[in-house]
Amino acid sequence: MDSVNYKVEIPVIEGNPSLGGLDELISRPTITKPDRKYYIALSISLSMLSLGVIGVALTFFYGIGMWGNNIPVAWAFDITNFVFWVGIGHAGTLISAILFLLRQKWRTGISRFAEGMTIFAVMTAGIFPIIHLGRPWLAGYLFPYPNQHSLWVNFTSPLIWDVFAVSTYFTVSLIFWYVGLIPDLAVLRERTVNKIKKIIYSIFSLGWRFSNRHWQHYDMVYLILAGFATPLVLSVHTIVSFDFAVSILPGWHSTIFPPYFVAGAVFSGFAMVQNILILIRKIFNYEHIITLNTLEKMNKVILLTGSMVGYSYLMEMFIAWYSGIQPERFVFINRALGPYAVEFWIMVSCNVIFPQLFWFKKIRRSIIIMFAIGIFVNVGMWMERFVIVVTSLSRDFLPSSWHHFTPTWVDFSILIGSFGFFFTWLLLFTKALPVVSMAEVKAVLKGSQPTHGDH
Amino acid sequence: MSISTGYHKKELPPKIKTLGLALLITGLIIVILGYMTDTTRSLYNNIIGFTFLVSIGVGSLFFVGLEYIVGAVWSTPFRRVSEFLSSLIIILPLFVLPLLLNVNIIFGWTHPADTMMQAKVPYLNINFFVIRVVVFWLLWVGFYFFIIKNSVRQDKTKEPSLTKTNIKLSAVFMPVFAITISLAAIDWLMSLAPKWFSTIFGVYYFSGTVLAALAAATIFIVMLNERGYLIAGLKSDHYYSLGALLFAFINFWAYISFSQFLLIWYGNLPEETVWFLARWHGNWKIFSIGLLVIHFVIPYFGLLSQPSKMNPKTLLIMALWILFGHYIDLYWLVMPNFYKEGIIFGWIELGFPILITGLIILVFFYRARKINLVAVGDPKLQRGIDFRL
Amino acid sequence: MSNKILYSYTGIFDTPDQIIQAAEMAVKEGFTKYDVNTPYPLHGMDSAMKLPPSKLGYIALIFGLSAALATALVIGWMSAIDYPLVVGGKPLFSFPAYVPVMFEVTVLTASIATVVAMLFFFFKLPNIGHPLHGTGYMKTVSSDKYGISIQVNDPKLILPDGSFNESFILKFLESVGSKEIAPVYWDEEEINHQNKILDPKFMVFLFVVAIITSAVTYFSLNILMNITPFNWMAEQQKLSVQQTSSVFKNHSGMLVPVPGTVARNSMPYQFSGQPDSAGKSLINPIPVSIESLKKGEIKFDVYCSPCHGFNGDGAGRLNGQFPNPPTLHSDKVRKWTDARIFAVITEGQNVMPSYASQLTVDERWTVINYIRALQRALNAMESDLK
Repeated sequence: MDSVNYKVEIPVIEGNPSLGGLDELISRPTITKPDRKYYIALSISLSMLSLGVIGVALTFFYGIGMWGNNIPVAWAFDITNFVFWVGIGHAGTLISAILFLLRQKWRTGISRFAEGMTIFAVMTAGIFPIIHLGRPWLAGYLFPYPNQHSLWVNFTSPLIWDVFAVSTYFTVSLIFWYVGLIPDLAVLRERTVNKIKKIIYSIFSLGWRFSNRHWQHYDMVYLILAGFATPLVLSVHTIVSFDFAVSILPGWHSTIFPPYFVAGAVFSGFAMVQNILILIRKIFNYEHIITLNTLEKMNKVILLTGSMVGYSYLMEMFIAWYSGIQPERFVFINRALGPYAVEFWIMVSCNVIFPQLFWFKKIRRSIIIMFAIGIFVNVGMWMERFVIVVTSLSRDFLPSSWHHFTPTWVDFSILIGSFGFFFTWLLLFTKALPVVSMAEVKAVLKGSQPTHGDH
Repeated sequence: MSISTGYHKKELPPKIKTLGLALLITGLIIVILGYMTDTTRSLYNNIIGFTFLVSIGVGSLFFVGLEYIVGAVWSTPFRRVSEFLSSLIIILPLFVLPLLLNVNIIFGWTHPADTMMQAKVPYLNINFFVIRVVVFWLLWVGFYFFIIKNSVRQDKTKEPSLTKTNIKLSAVFMPVFAITISLAAIDWLMSLAPKWFSTIFGVYYFSGTVLAALAAATIFIVMLNERGYLIAGLKSDHYYSLGALLFAFINFWAYISFSQFLLIWYGNLPEETVWFLARWHGNWKIFSIGLLVIHFVIPYFGLLSQPSKMNPKTLLIMALWILFGHYIDLYWLVMPNFYKEGIIFGWIELGFPILITGLIILVFFYRARKINLVAVGDPKLQRGIDFRL
Repeated sequence: MSNKILYSYTGIFDTPDQIIQAAEMAVKEGFTKYDVNTPYPLHGMDSAMKLPPSKLGYIALIFGLSAALATALVIGWMSAIDYPLVVGGKPLFSFPAYVPVMFEVTVLTASIATVVAMLFFFFKLPNIGHPLHGTGYMKTVSSDKYGISIQVNDPKLILPDGSFNESFILKFLESVGSKEIAPVYWDEEEINHQNKILDPKFMVFLFVVAIITSAVTYFSLNILMNITPFNWMAEQQKLSVQQTSSVFKNHSGMLVPVPGTVARNSMPYQFSGQPDSAGKSLINPIPVSIESLKKGEIKFDVYCSPCHGFNGDGAGRLNGQFPNPPTLHSDKVRKWTDARIFAVITEGQNVMPSYASQLTVDERWTVINYIRALQRALNAMESDLK
């Protein structure tokens, strides 16, 4: 459709389904038995997960020497994967919280799923700080509790800030997700005939009875949580960026890292969410709930955040030159032409060039192309973290300290395993809970709100 | 509800013009006297004034463009206010001319003394500097001209295709804006300390710019709407959205500001800390803390609650305060480079603020004479008026 | 089922506009003990029911600000007072570095506090039983219709004789257009349920949780950490001191050096028992300098002065308790070479023990330089006075 009618609001949900019909459609996957495709998908993700478990077990038993890390490249895949997965999580909170604050109704069809993805992504991310410790069973030392050594943690270290940030992010996201689930769990409670499920839903729906006196407080809490989750999500990836930026390593010590990392996180997160939603809407027949318009809007966000990432690349390169400091200038020459040039150019083309195709409406509305671009973006963003971490470490001030990094098969198995971990949780989620928020979607249907409800 | 009968074009009262003229002339006299008595100090104030106008002018154009590309409806009824403010772009050359004639006095990089400075010469040389100013201004004026022309024309013709064109123009403008505003900040503010650098500096200036443009627009919107000059039907929901945006960008400014500070503080590299140390020396220390309080703490609590965002009085006061805060921010960026011992304040410093206030009022007055204060032809207008949270 | 007690009357509506109107009519009528149930929140319902705004925002604010302050103080105490550590040359109380943690703890505390307040205070968790649960009304109202429920003990419905005005409520519900008007009864358990905070079941639950937590903590910290592989760093395979060894004949982990072992940076003393040969062969390698003399003075004062006195004249602190040590200013000693004195210090003579373990080779030579200075001081020549 070429001429857009600006006078009329584009409906969020197409086809004008009935309220009861929506309940039926969205709760159906939680009632029906999984089909063969589900089992195939689950077995794939479980095999990936098993590979990761082997890798982690070997790492625990033999130590970090199983990885390719060396001096000076003391951080490699571990931190790259950590930052990557935390970034994936940010899209979920952005969709839930930030789009809520911006009153964007198109978020309703996707917020539940996106929030779930956030939680699983943060869980996946949380694996890495633990396994990269020399003695992972002492991970409790990261928390400031009174102990017989009379020691406290080093609060000035960004690694401790990470501990607080990621645990807070996980907890608040979980609370936010759960609060959103309460009305839907109550719907399931009312619909189910299975005795055990009824008990479970009754417990977890906390007796919700759709009373407007409760909705009033519920709405306020939702707004407050959204209001907190927004700066929280910005702060988490900011703190992750501080892991690098507080150092004095060229290529790491750059004041633009906080907003640059946040934009990059949203960028990769949206690409991942979008791709999975494309699969979900097809599998569950939610095409009129997760509409093409929604996907197009997500592409615009990808375009925006991708441009921010591109801006950051340009600004970093320019200021590195402007500074006149030779090691700073060398960082970017090394990235483009040095031993990791391939990774660098993959990163630039995937992050800067391909997403710019989203300027064109035809591309924004083509499922296949947007799916491909989504994959490119995720590859590119993983490469970006890799390039930042490894190139700056492998070649810093003193050429005699330079050393190349090569990943081992254990590194790769853990990376694959992390995807397996994430997708397994996601698959289980689609069967256990409604992936679309019934209450929120109903509230934005045409005719669902009173007409003369002026304040 | 017919759109054309909802808006009645009222002339702004002539006392506005008188006020604007009075402020303009007073300010101009102070500025001229300032130039005659202490040229260098006036030049520094000129930079502050110039970057302040860029913030409001180009920032307002950014807002207009932003509304077009995200398809927002709540701001449509008062987009024209930002359009008027963006016409300040046209008079920017008047403010930049004294600076260009005196580059040698203002900018240390015009005399590159050592190898470090000479390494920057390909970018920091007078010729390229001037070319950049001219090119940026031409780009800004170009986009201003076409976007605003389409918007104004739509008042008469009501063609939806003009909206589509403006969306396309705005889409192209966004990356142009990002690059030009960043480089302008680097050229005019960061290079005052040519050995210092910060990759986030462009974003920092951008955050202040957004606040200034938003605050200036809010001031006019609230004052005009309360006196019935805009269109009937604009209620607390619209004020809330403006207040929420102001609140959000206050936090964004604080976030960018703190990030820049924390990273430089933590790394403790002398070539970077020197900039902040200059702002901690003598009574600049009090000013820096004051900036944090003025620009963040007070507006944060002032705009935190829901009622405060919806109330036109508090919104107006906070918008005025935030605009004042932006001027303070620019002062903090410029002056410590030159006056190392402490805050410098006298009658000279009042010249440009008074002049600029008068100028903005006058520009607004004259634009409002010829053009509608509301974009009556915009197809989204009715949805904008009907907007409810 | 015979003694069912009535709780409320409910009515169902089809459209949002109808239920808003019904709520407004209920308020106008003066009902206070009523509620509206909708599958999702309706815009304008709060003002239709004239509900006061929710106070949860204040809870968020108070808890948030307190958490921020508390965090700053606690971190400050931990880092600057309890176990002060200088990190990166920064001051002990480094406020900028605390901001990230302060922010996170603030958000965490405020979020949890707000949700907990909503659940426990406003929703009255854990007392969530309610007569509306399990009714057909609840089923409809959770899915696609809107409902109103008016309690029978609303003051507007109490008649003078204490019973409730059934016809009035039925008439009202019909007048606002509700369908499916139905009564709702209390569950027997609910009506007799006393909501106590010190409910015995809850106390038992807390007790069990405490036991389990303590047990898990004890197990993980005291037992688990001492078994393989968690004890790998504490129990290492290398031989530590005071451990028995299965390798060495005397089963001791601590061994003396093999005979003939020479300490690093030292040569074995070749003139054992032959002080005169030593005196002829060795040469003082330490040049005389202020530094050497100063060092020698310190060592002499420590090791030699107790017997030989500070001036080397034999008037030491041991005078009278020990056979008198000889003066170092005798002709004999003055004629000895530096190396002959070295031999005496190294091996001792008569009652004087060996000082080889208290003074390194170089230190002995510096002491000798100092002795020479003392000797010269007591036998100065006129030329020295210049």
